[in-house]
Amino acid sequence: MPELNPIVVEAGIGETGPPQQGVNLSVRQWLRTNLFSNWFNAILTLLGVFAALLMLRGVLNFTFSENREWDAVRTNLRALMTLSYPESQYVRVWVAVGFVMALAGMSAGIWANWGGVSVKRMSTWLMGSGGLFALCVLLREPSVILDSEGKVLRTVEGSLQRESVWAAMTDRLGWWIAAVVLITLGAAIWAWCSEPDRRNNSVAVTTVVFSGLGLLVLSLWLVPYGHYAFADGTYIAVPGRTVAFSTKMPWTVMWLLLFGLYFVGRSFRDTRWQGIVRGSSNFLWLISPMALFWVVLRDPALDYAHVLSTDLPMGLAFGVLGGVLLWALTRSDLGEAGRLTAVGLLGFAVFNWVAAFFGLYPMLQKARISFLLVALAALLAPNFIGEVAKRRQLILGWLSAMALVHYMATMMNTPSTVDIQSSEFLGGLGLTLFVAVIVVLLSFPLGVLLALGRTSKFPIFRMLSTSYIEIIRGVPLISVLIFFSVMVPLFLPDGMELAELAAVLTGYTLFSAAYLAENVRGGLQSVTKGQYEAADALGLTAAQRTGFIVLPQGLRVSIPQLVGQVISTFKETSLLAIIGLFDFLRVANSVIPAQSEFMGVKREGILLVAMIYFFFNFTISKYSQRLERRVGLGER
Amino acid sequence: MANSPPPSIHHDRPPLYRDVTVVKWVVQVIALLMVLGALWFLAEQAGDNLTASNVPTDYGFLSINPGIDLSSGIDTDPDTGGRALWVGMVNTLRMAAAGIVVATLFGVLVGLSRLSNNWLLRKLGSVYVESLRNVPLLVQILFYGAVFASLDRVTTDVGPINGWFHISNKGLSMPRVHIADGFYQWVVVLAIGLVFANFMRKRRNAQQDATGDETYPLLSAFGVVVFFAIVGWFIHPIFGFVGNIFDAAASAISALPENVLQLLIAALSITVSVYWIRSFLNSRRTPAGLARLTDDDYFRMIFAAVGGLLGALFFLVLWPGLSSWMINSGSDFFDVLGNKFGDGRTGRPIDVALPEIVQSGKFPNYGPSGLNFSIGFAAVFFGVVFYTAAFIAEIVRGGILAVPKGQTEAAAALGLRRSTALRRVIIPQAARVMLPPLGNQYLNLTKNTSLAIAVGYSDIVQVGQTVYNQTGKTLPVVSIWMFFYLSCSLSISVIVNFFNVRMRIVER
Amino acid sequence: MSIDDGTTVANDRLAGREDMIVCVDVDKWYGDFQALKGITATIKEGEVAVVCGPSGSGKSTWIRCINRLEVHQGGNIVVDGIELSNDLRNIEKIRSEVGMVFQQFNLFPHLTVRDNITLAPIWVRKKPRAEAESLATELLEQMGIPEQAEKFPGQLSGGQQQRVAIARSLAMEPRVMLFDEPTSALDPEMIKEVLDVMKELARSGITMMVVTHEMGFAREVADRIIFMEGGEIVEVGTPEHFFTNPTEDRTKLFLSQIL
Repeated sequence: MPELNPIVVEAGIGETGPPQQGVNLSVRQWLRTNLFSNWFNAILTLLGVFAALLMLRGVLNFTFSENREWDAVRTNLRALMTLSYPESQYVRVWVAVGFVMALAGMSAGIWANWGGVSVKRMSTWLMGSGGLFALCVLLREPSVILDSEGKVLRTVEGSLQRESVWAAMTDRLGWWIAAVVLITLGAAIWAWCSEPDRRNNSVAVTTVVFSGLGLLVLSLWLVPYGHYAFADGTYIAVPGRTVAFSTKMPWTVMWLLLFGLYFVGRSFRDTRWQGIVRGSSNFLWLISPMALFWVVLRDPALDYAHVLSTDLPMGLAFGVLGGVLLWALTRSDLGEAGRLTAVGLLGFAVFNWVAAFFGLYPMLQKARISFLLVALAALLAPNFIGEVAKRRQLILGWLSAMALVHYMATMMNTPSTVDIQSSEFLGGLGLTLFVAVIVVLLSFPLGVLLALGRTSKFPIFRMLSTSYIEIIRGVPLISVLIFFSVMVPLFLPDGMELAELAAVLTGYTLFSAAYLAENVRGGLQSVTKGQYEAADALGLTAAQRTGFIVLPQGLRVSIPQLVGQVISTFKETSLLAIIGLFDFLRVANSVIPAQSEFMGVKREGILLVAMIYFFFNFTISKYSQRLERRVGLGER
Repeated sequence: MANSPPPSIHHDRPPLYRDVTVVKWVVQVIALLMVLGALWFLAEQAGDNLTASNVPTDYGFLSINPGIDLSSGIDTDPDTGGRALWVGMVNTLRMAAAGIVVATLFGVLVGLSRLSNNWLLRKLGSVYVESLRNVPLLVQILFYGAVFASLDRVTTDVGPINGWFHISNKGLSMPRVHIADGFYQWVVVLAIGLVFANFMRKRRNAQQDATGDETYPLLSAFGVVVFFAIVGWFIHPIFGFVGNIFDAAASAISALPENVLQLLIAALSITVSVYWIRSFLNSRRTPAGLARLTDDDYFRMIFAAVGGLLGALFFLVLWPGLSSWMINSGSDFFDVLGNKFGDGRTGRPIDVALPEIVQSGKFPNYGPSGLNFSIGFAAVFFGVVFYTAAFIAEIVRGGILAVPKGQTEAAAALGLRRSTALRRVIIPQAARVMLPPLGNQYLNLTKNTSLAIAVGYSDIVQVGQTVYNQTGKTLPVVSIWMFFYLSCSLSISVIVNFFNVRMRIVER
Repeated sequence: MSIDDGTTVANDRLAGREDMIVCVDVDKWYGDFQALKGITATIKEGEVAVVCGPSGSGKSTWIRCINRLEVHQGGNIVVDGIELSNDLRNIEKIRSEVGMVFQQFNLFPHLTVRDNITLAPIWVRKKPRAEAESLATELLEQMGIPEQAEKFPGQLSGGQQQRVAIARSLAMEPRVMLFDEPTSALDPEMIKEVLDVMKELARSGITMMVVTHEMGFAREVADRIIFMEGGEIVEVGTPEHFFTNPTEDRTKLFLSQIL
């Protein structure tokens, strides 16, 4: 590829690196080094400018064309977010969002030191976006197509009309004002920080984010965005009811929660409560997806007689008896008897399912799972032998795990009171987010196990994990999803409500775990042999070595890849649209175009979906890069 | 104390549950049994439930007319289910091959632009990469599909198209370059040319090594191939006799008795495992005799032996039909190949046809003479190409940045010219870094073509879905998909590994 | 060579002590390479044995066999009366009684110095956390680095890291300490601080087996010097014997190269 060489040679492998940023250059010098360093570069620059302007114009014309029906998206915003979740219970959605917001604020306060944005950068950013606004207004179609008399050609309501350039430009007065305001603001800040002692001033990131969000929320009160009309499956435009009208109050509350809890979280930093608050916020993050989806949003109709007669006693029995057993198993004089007991319990727990297969004795699924958990906890118990505090830790952990498992199992088994026609009570972006979060949470432990298996020194474990990982990675997700959507319902009782969602979650989780395992494996392999030897020489057991030494180091190394995996998983949730669930892509691609008002209007909705995906993924990846830099700095 | 004998040591075997080796293998074997048991258990229950809910799981549909029309492919009206899936596979492979080539070219360009010292190009490159890779491919494909679907309709003028290209909401039509009668004879000439070219390359290489003169081995080899291609264009009819050789091969294969082949396959399976065990033992052999084998070694050999026996048993008892299938398909293959050389095939090897518009049914459409891309194809193609290119660009960028700056400096210090340094120093090292992730992207691209299901392009997944919607045989179709994609993945990783190994030799 | 010397201790201090490490005919292969050829030796309780020899002579392999980081394939190793066999319980016991210090320190980079030291006492010895932490503080003081407890290993110098590694091993209250070239990865100015700690340790009466090239240390502290070459013990003797009139030619050659 000799014709590419010039670029490569210019490309800064070696002595001509990409020019150093931050060195103060005059505008002319900057232009020369960055855009016109030689004739070849100059040509590239001109071509690039031309192409960029052309593309920007294309995008603008597409977006603001009179043929675009953005009403279709505005009207259907609620469908895109939550499908047809009943309006009467919509407060549940807001409670869920509010909980997440509060948690996010809390975590942001207690965890991260967010640093600052330099004022200078903010000013260039403001001026740049102001300039971009102005450029966009200039580029938009009517300003460019002129007829023989120098008038602008423009399509209004289907017919071609003539008007002056002036008229076309003044038409977008709002945009002009915005551009001018931004540029002035940026220039003012620039001038302000030209004084030497203010040059390196910076504003905290949190201030920028919170005030930005605050401005957005404020605009809901001032600007009547969108005409909101979707209600209970009918699409009627009600005058005066706008998106802003129905959401300004809730969003204000959300903003206050985020903002307020941030300060609450920050007030706990560096106090003796810090550890507790961090731990509990992590715990809440872990359980909130399940709890919010199945308890808050689903509003189960509990049958209290059954709860009191069966569910509660069973949970209590497992908690108490299991706790007593674990207390006994953590006695220091037990020796091998403890391990043998645990293995026996494990055998019994597995046999419960075999018995179910042959119909030997009936047992609630919940009980089978609980027995399995007892066995696993018993296997862990020898690690907690020692002082009373450590033993108490295990027992407390066991009790809360039992409480959680039984509570969630009861809730999931109870039918929902949310009454809608489609198969899931929640759809749209809500469903997408739910699936993404659950899949990430579930596939993580599975993926770590697979990675451990693949790096294990036990050949059979290695073989099993390797073949699983390679087979899954060799086939497309869609075939896995279709496979499970046929298979999983076969194993569930007839007419079970969650069949479809369970199938989808199984497929996604098993698929995602294989990829995650590969990412984790990379990290595990970076743990040196010396670390294993040191752990062995200290007498740590294999489980302790893995849990205390290998995993913490390996996972830390693979954080960037794990974040990448989160982004891929989130992108893959778009496939929900193909396999028959109503995620927001499906709403944009099939539901809206089928409405009689917006027959065939697809592109607008899909664009919105693309923008939402982009927003989430871009934010996550930028944050991950930040994290990577920080971790890199910390390691030295 | 001074002359005490070496202390005698009392051996006692530990109890089994405390013996490291025993525990290690018992745990593993139990785990293996549990996994196999769980799979068996699930399969059994699935089988029962499938029978109970009347979901068929046989492969009979492969030979029955499914009664479906495909939107595009080598045969849009297949007469059997198997044929329909075959058309889907060909479509997938076509899409993947075209996509890989174009995405690589485009991705390399974008990647290089991200390294350019031109600020604008760098920014455009990163805007491209960031925006494309953060939006799901399916969303992009659906968007392209929606855009193409809103293009103008086909005009009603039936007949040849004025010009070479035509774009409408039916897709894109352009001149088709297709294989004509004399193609296979011509390929024979080309093959002979390749042999000569390889010979030429080796000789020139040797000459260059001996004398130090620049002899352009690759260029001259290429010249030889071109020469043969041109000559072959005129003289290819005389190679019609090659067809007879293939015919003979076909009849020889069909004359093979089934039992013999069956035994051969079984024997092959056992031979492979025996050979593996022998070479394994050889690798443990030392000048002082066989080294001590660890428990892992013993188990490996046991597994190899069991695997070989199971394989033989499988071919002999469980799947006796394999040999007849192999005989049939083998002889069919050579038969078809022989026919390609048949009588009267003396025309040009390659021909070109211009697009046209025909009235098919109610609406006008592109005729079969041109090379037509449906909007489904275009949507998926642009989708996978633009999407994968964003990832390839990052790989290229990372690969080149991974070459330490010292390498360029060292090359410059040796007085190598920039182009030589690039060709001999930078690119080989960058390629070594780039190749494995690049292979992964090719794999992803191939798998991503399955999203064609969303815009109705007849790839294997879409065809398969149509088939199982008609016949209800979801699981067999899914199994064929998985088999197909696993083979694709395996092939791609074999190819990538091959180049990987070569790269490593280059590095040495 | 004389096996006899190998099991004899020509030092009054150790006369009548118990055998701590007993190796009889220990063999070890790596594939077709025999790294240890019938090693037979006894280390007494409280003895400081220095193992030296040219690189590749099998000295590291030998001491790594003693806490089963490598598995010996022939012969027997008995540590404190417990045979090192396939028995899980014996392996666990020996590992918690034998401390090891590595050439590359092998501290856990994601844990603070304090956590590095308390990890094993808490989880293997089942000590209460408070007790383990006070022990850690004590040990760090003994090592002369009490102020580094909350730092991460990456923030310490090589010599400090190696002293933390020694403290980490001592926290298990082992009966035997193995040192695998503890100063080889250190800058010259840091070697002394580690050797000082080791000398002090030797005086405290713990059994030590040290693989090292530091002949000054060997001369000053060792009760016995074991010279290995080619996977065999070539010569064993007190420092005076070893440095002043070695009997074997190979020993003389080695000493002439190293001194």
